[in-house]
Amino acid sequence: MLSTHKLVNILQAYIIRRLFFLFFVIFGVSLLVFTIQYSYGPDRRAMLYVDSPQQAKDIPELKKKYGLNDPYPVQYVRYLKEIAMGNFGYSIVAARPVWDAFLHYLPITIELNLFVVPLFIIIGIWLGKQAGIKRNTTYDHVTRILAIIGWSLPTFLFALILLMIFYGKFGLFEPAMLSANIEAFILDNPDKYIKYTGMYTIDGILNGEFGITWDAIKHLFLPVLTQVIVIVAILMRVMRSSMVEEISKDYVITAQAKGVDSKTIFNKHVKRNALIPVITIAGQLAALSMEGSIAVEMIFNRHGIGNWLAHAALKLDTSVIMFMCLFMAVIFVVTNLIIDLLYAYIDPRIRLT
Amino acid sequence: MKKIIETENLRTNFYTYEGVVKALNDVCITVNHGETFGLVGESGCGKSVTVRSMMRIIQSPGKVESGKVLLFLDENGEQEAVDLLQQSESYMQSCCGDQISMIFQEPNAALNPIMSIGEQVAESFLFHRKKSLSEASLERLNAQDCKVPFKGIFKNLYKKYHEDENAFVFKLLSHIPLLNRWDFLIRQEAFKRAVEIISKLGIPHAEDIAVQFPHNLSGGMKQRIVIAIALACSPMLLIADEATSNLDVTIQAQILELLKDLKKKHISSILLITHDLGVVAETCDRVGVMYAGSLCEVAESRELFGNPSHPYTKALLESVPKFHQEGALKTIEGNVPNLVTPPAGCRFHPRCKHRMDICDKEVPNLLEIGKNHSVACHLFGDK
Ligand SMILES: Nc1ncnc2c1ncn2[C@@H]1O[C@H](COP(=O)(O)OP(=O)(O)OP(=O)(O)O)[C@@H](O)[C@H]1O
Ligand SMILES: [Mg+2]
Repeated sequence: MLSTHKLVNILQAYIIRRLFFLFFVIFGVSLLVFTIQYSYGPDRRAMLYVDSPQQAKDIPELKKKYGLNDPYPVQYVRYLKEIAMGNFGYSIVAARPVWDAFLHYLPITIELNLFVVPLFIIIGIWLGKQAGIKRNTTYDHVTRILAIIGWSLPTFLFALILLMIFYGKFGLFEPAMLSANIEAFILDNPDKYIKYTGMYTIDGILNGEFGITWDAIKHLFLPVLTQVIVIVAILMRVMRSSMVEEISKDYVITAQAKGVDSKTIFNKHVKRNALIPVITIAGQLAALSMEGSIAVEMIFNRHGIGNWLAHAALKLDTSVIMFMCLFMAVIFVVTNLIIDLLYAYIDPRIRLT
Repeated sequence: MKKIIETENLRTNFYTYEGVVKALNDVCITVNHGETFGLVGESGCGKSVTVRSMMRIIQSPGKVESGKVLLFLDENGEQEAVDLLQQSESYMQSCCGDQISMIFQEPNAALNPIMSIGEQVAESFLFHRKKSLSEASLERLNAQDCKVPFKGIFKNLYKKYHEDENAFVFKLLSHIPLLNRWDFLIRQEAFKRAVEIISKLGIPHAEDIAVQFPHNLSGGMKQRIVIAIALACSPMLLIADEATSNLDVTIQAQILELLKDLKKKHISSILLITHDLGVVAETCDRVGVMYAGSLCEVAESRELFGNPSHPYTKALLESVPKFHQEGALKTIEGNVPNLVTPPAGCRFHPRCKHRMDICDKEVPNLLEIGKNHSVACHLFGDK
């Protein structure tokens, strides 16, 4: 048996090794995104700095200024140098440097995910567990049909339907991040409301303005609901099939023959085993939602990462897209690290080496 | 001799997509107090299904259709037998693992891969020895040198648990994170007993083994752990479902020796399933032979090997390789029938050398043809 001290050492070494690996991933991704945007040619890229036809005459000058005619390796090294110093370029759609815009939009997406991720994990695993236990009963059939609807309806359609019902029919849960009067209050009272995190729910609490928190939660309801339903639909089915597979295993019979009650069998023996494959999927889904759901953010008028990314893609705001690729690479590496640690925690057969 | 368990006309079906698999066809088995009963037959003839039906641990899509499983709790046979098939779920939970327990065919699959060995063995105690566990924990709490924070609260809790383990408080506590750990002393005690029973089964360094997980152990070790789980609460009847089939010969001999030894000390009866006739001859007092879901012959083992009467038993015994084998090994002609559409009448008749007209029309009854010797075959119908 490992001593705690030794375990901490192993964990440390593992995490450091994996974070070291992160550098290589970022290097690879940066090479890839740089190459893709390089394929546009100097003129096209210079055009990005031009707003009007009159300025078109500046293009040769711009090319020279930014060194767009330099050889590929020179430009790539220059790019690497800049991102190493934290300069990710200028976002046209946000009209400010990419990093500043990112820090501005990120809290809004994180705030949404702060609700979405725990909810979809808890609900998805619970529903899937029940469906697996009650396989081939009405409960199973109903949740199956709902899950099929949930994931086959496009998210935007789903968001629109919910908005139509709640806001359109009953006037509840308007799409925005805050009500107009609350927003005005924040603008008018910069001394009473200090922006700590950029998340209204948390800043509301930190400033002692619980009205703001409550208002923000009300505005989060529909977007969270939309996203949770869509993701739960996937996760639930994964959990169900994993449960069904585990329930038919022999150790379940051993436990039954031991006289263990079915609640303990399901919750202690089967569920923990069934979770092992589900962790990967849940982690990937959580990582994906860090990108911000474009449909949800657009329809509910939330200015988060997804919204920004959608506009950037439409306007060919290359710096933003290149930056987001790097960001998602980091997110996925970190998520996979967390997944691996969870694996090792749940499954003793896995060694961290 | 007094019976300990008896099945009457047990019928079990599996509802699969291919159709209804009629796995058991009126199986009647009796196991007596103090004996080792062997159940033999080809692979797929329903041995596992029989014993699993007895313990009511048939997995879906299987279902016990009809019949009785009578358990005679006390040795004098004065008490009424209980029909296990009519009992509630909770009765079965208290009975399985305590009065009857089972050793499984596949030690690799029979253990939960992500639960420590000690915990898996301790579960037997946790579910059947609540009273004595809480008593031991109380004793520990009352000891002078016991250093547990909130000792008073714990004392009260454990006392209450000792009196009434189904009290509402415990249901409530079990749902609250952290507070559901209140019973840590009981768990520790159960774990201690698990270590004891593991070391009793001849496993060295039981404390170290108990914190390991199944994948760290060899097959033979795992089988010993499975046996430890089954023996934890000293059952009256131990069902060993091919406990040695997947082990190599030396380990197999060790395990059989262990079972013999344990039978002398701890348990009353063993129902031993195997397809190794050598094992049967060596260890069993009485033997039942199964074919395609029905019992063909039951006899004392000496009698069965000396005077096999059912054509299937004869064929089975002839197909065992002998040391002075002359010529090719005899095999039973034909194939095991498909149990979705089993042959009418005697299920063995399509392969039987002594087939008569009646064989495909009527199911033969189990008839006594000698002392403790019954056969289900029309050849003996007139006698
Ligand atoms: N889960 C199941 N689904 C469908 N049919 C089953 C199932 N389990 C068992 N059966 C049927 O029951 C019959 C008896 O199976 P059983 O496992 O009892 O055989 P066995 O005598 O224990 O064989 P072995 O020596 O291989 O363990 C088999 O022929 C099989 O067709
Ligand atoms: Mg079997």
